[in-house]
Amino acid sequence: MSLEIDGVTKRYGATLALDGLSFSVPRGRIFGFLGANGAGKTTTMRICLGILRADAGQARWNGAATTDLPRRTFGYLPEERGLYPRMTVIDQLVYFARLYGEPADAARRNAHHWLDRFRIPDYADRRAEELSKGNQQKVQFIAAILHGPDVLLMDEPFTGLDPVNLSLLRDAFVELRDAGRTIVFSTHQMEAAEALCESLAIVDHGRLVAGGTLGELKRTSRARTVRLGVEGEILPTWLAGIDGVAAVRPAAGFTELELRPGTEPRDVLSAALARGALVNHFEVAEPSLEAIFIEHVGRPSDVEDPPPIDQEHAA
Amino acid sequence: MARHDPLLPNAAIVARREYVDRVRSKLYRISTLVLMALAVGVALTPIALRYFDRARVDEIGVITADDDLAAATVATANGIMNIPPPGADPKEWTPPYAIGRLLDRELAVSDLAAGRLDAIIEVGRLADGTLQVTYRTNGPADGVKAQLAGFTALSVAILDWTSSLPPGSQLGTFRTPAFNTESLVGPVENGQAVDAVQVASRGFLGTVFIILMFITILIYGMWVATGVAAEKSSRVMELMISAASPRQLLVGKVIGIGGAGLTQYLAIALPVVLVLAFQDQIARAILGAGGAGLPTGGLTLGLLAAYGLFFLLGFALFALIYAAVGSFVSRPDDLQTLSLPLSLVAMAGYLCALVVLLGSAGTFARLTSLVPPLSPFSMLARLMVSTVQPWEVALSIGVLVATIGLVAAATIRIYATGVLLYGQRPGIRAFIAAAWRAH
Repeated sequence: MSLEIDGVTKRYGATLALDGLSFSVPRGRIFGFLGANGAGKTTTMRICLGILRADAGQARWNGAATTDLPRRTFGYLPEERGLYPRMTVIDQLVYFARLYGEPADAARRNAHHWLDRFRIPDYADRRAEELSKGNQQKVQFIAAILHGPDVLLMDEPFTGLDPVNLSLLRDAFVELRDAGRTIVFSTHQMEAAEALCESLAIVDHGRLVAGGTLGELKRTSRARTVRLGVEGEILPTWLAGIDGVAAVRPAAGFTELELRPGTEPRDVLSAALARGALVNHFEVAEPSLEAIFIEHVGRPSDVEDPPPIDQEHAA
Repeated sequence: MARHDPLLPNAAIVARREYVDRVRSKLYRISTLVLMALAVGVALTPIALRYFDRARVDEIGVITADDDLAAATVATANGIMNIPPPGADPKEWTPPYAIGRLLDRELAVSDLAAGRLDAIIEVGRLADGTLQVTYRTNGPADGVKAQLAGFTALSVAILDWTSSLPPGSQLGTFRTPAFNTESLVGPVENGQAVDAVQVASRGFLGTVFIILMFITILIYGMWVATGVAAEKSSRVMELMISAASPRQLLVGKVIGIGGAGLTQYLAIALPVVLVLAFQDQIARAILGAGGAGLPTGGLTLGLLAAYGLFFLLGFALFALIYAAVGSFVSRPDDLQTLSLPLSLVAMAGYLCALVVLLGSAGTFARLTSLVPPLSPFSMLARLMVSTVQPWEVALSIGVLVATIGLVAAATIRIYATGVLLYGQRPGIRAFIAAAWRAH
């Protein structure tokens, strides 16, 4: 019982968007689908939904091609957010649920439940254009789940949310997972993915470059994370200039350094001491998901892929 | 096995949303009321003009040095210009022209210039004895009045010529002959040729109908295109396309927006049709017996039904193409440019219909009334002013329906591809490619 992406290839003219992509998502799990912009994440989701047709390969749910299954099997939160601006929140939630085959009364009851859950019950009768972007995003999330889909596909669900709403959405993910739903989401927020995902896939240029549980990815990673504190320096920016350091993140009392594969932690310590720094904290930590991502893709997740911006949309 | 996406209920759900969204908007309600008032106003214009003109009597002076010629001209002009309309009570009817002889030419010309006189008919004789009649007005001459003056001149000339008959010959009073026109291809109602007055009336109505059809198809077609483009630019399309199939969305949108357009159209047309249908009665009530005979006779239920049918089919055809156009633009602003060729096609249909209304009944009329997208305009025009065989009407409808089916199939493919395209300037090659290949 799983969502399987099996050898899926998709080409837009001269651009190869997906190149025999394969991975599987176990049922009832929260799955992170990671990749830089233009890596093929949106195309994969659209193929799962049947919006796009694969040139080769197939997406399957429980052994059946996803294009053969009823639309209500899936819920979709697209990266491009949008609602009918002049329609009230409750009307459009009921509208979308009805398109998925939900009876209007049940949809209305369920919509009110989720609006309460997301702390926006008073917005039910407001027009979408009157809502903040964060609240519009919550409404769109509700629209994606109201019909009770088995699989929830979400493209960048956390973008633009404040910490409170981020927490509400994460809680909702866990609640849905506990109710047996399978959740697949893409994100550039590695901390969120690390905190939520039980399994992950990292794609680059339409190909799977790493996949498995978070533990498996960390065990097999050659990336190293070093935590280094320097006496008298809160933000030692010069650390980024040390050979083999891929990324630098300030933390409380120390700085976290992502090392490139092949770079040994002791080399970094030596370089710091050679510079005359008074090192008061040195720790070799498990590689972060960010480090694993950089190890496989060669750059941070929020750095644009070389192909054109609209390659996923190009016909 | 492919996903089963039946048209219903989703197309109906989409159609309902589209319909309610438009009909509930303030702009829609206000524009409907304004257009309704305007349309009724236009329909009542002929009556209003005649109402304001009802008490007006044109003063026309006859100037000639010859007493006999003066008497003959006054009598003939009265006989021709002051004919009571059918059914008018001669006792209550006021002749629209007061015609009399004026002896002082200079005074008459100065009265004409000052507006105290409406026209002068000046009759003289050339050296060879030929009569010379001049109809003089202060400003451009009214076409109908000038024509009546021309008839008067001709009649006076006939009287003048017959005055040279041998002594003792008797001639009765000159009577205006009955005058009719007939056409071999004119419209037939219940097996009888429709009379010339009604043919002229149908020509007028046909022009009104064709203009209405042209304008409404363009306006409501653009509603469809902007509706699709707005969904795309607001990104709500991303949600829609995963919840319903392109076919369900497209059909629902065309029906919903078409329904809103049709509602507005009916709200405007129904009072107008009522005014036109009862125009004679309204005119009689306001103007008396002389008010009948306005230019909207010949309006039948059959013609109204034909208009409704060809409007719906024409709208369906154009709306589908407009939806495809709307799906290809990323911003509603780009629609103006992209929809221009479609407007030109509609304009071609409109012009063909006008040619037919002006009397073309040959191969051109037959051909254009069978070939979509010209046929809704052209066939309606033919039905208004000429005889059309039932098989021709059936063939025209059949070809139109088949074309709508083919266009719908291509449009669904274009739409499915177009709604996912962002940031590209669409061209004709992109349309053709989208129509031919699956997304």
